[in-house]
Amino acid sequence: MSLMKKERYDVQKDTRLEVTPISRVDESDEAFTLTVELPGVSEKEIELTLEDRTLSVTAENTVERFKDYTLVLTEVPEVRYRAAFEIPERVDTANLKAATRNGLLILTLPKREEVKPRRIAITAG
Amino acid sequence: MRAYLNTINNPWRAFDELMSDFPYDLFNNAWRARTGGYPRVNVWENENGLVVEAEVAGVDPEKLDVAVDANVLTLKGEKGQADGSTGEFQRSFNLPFELDNESIKATVKNGVLTVSIPRKAAAEKRKIAIEKL
Repeated sequence: MSLMKKERYDVQKDTRLEVTPISRVDESDEAFTLTVELPGVSEKEIELTLEDRTLSVTAENTVERFKDYTLVLTEVPEVRYRAAFEIPERVDTANLKAATRNGLLILTLPKREEVKPRRIAITAG
Repeated sequence: MRAYLNTINNPWRAFDELMSDFPYDLFNNAWRARTGGYPRVNVWENENGLVVEAEVAGVDPEKLDVAVDANVLTLKGEKGQADGSTGEFQRSFNLPFELDNESIKATVKNGVLTVSIPRKAAAEKRKIAIEKL
């Protein structure tokens, strides 16, 4: 007779909706800029990890509650933002930088020197 | 919230909808379709006023505009788009009561705008005497 494995289910943890945050990548000659929208999250609350070439972002937003008031319209739920990005080989992950601004997480992924565009000098002949 | 008078025969229905605490349907459907759904908001209300929380990540707080005109609250601003350009957004809320635009408080933190607006002080309630015929 096999024993049914009891799964530990943390109900409290799972009341949040898991959402993939809006993100975009911009490219310049020097680096890629990965912008992830995380409104309602301060930089202390963002879990940012790099494992091999996978960059993971996890954060839970804070939706303020107002005592003595009645909530009449909810369009902003409590969520857990979760995203993972495969960082291409062209990126020098050792020099990855992260900063927050206006609810955005801005990651600067510098390109490896050898992949940066080079101007080739032309000698007149 | 006060209960809605839903009976078809209620002659005061239109009047009551105007006076009720929050015309939920009006808010959700008609207005959102008309003015667009950005930014998303949570709205809190009590007899003294309103608190609106809006998600405005990526919006420059300097360019964020919060305006109150009688009973209409308008949020306006510029947001960086996916292709690098900036787009303008505007969302208006038609409320069932007048707002006091002298005492609005607005703060932005972590891409969330919190606006707190008191109601305009209502005129004194008048007691109507009933004459016996």
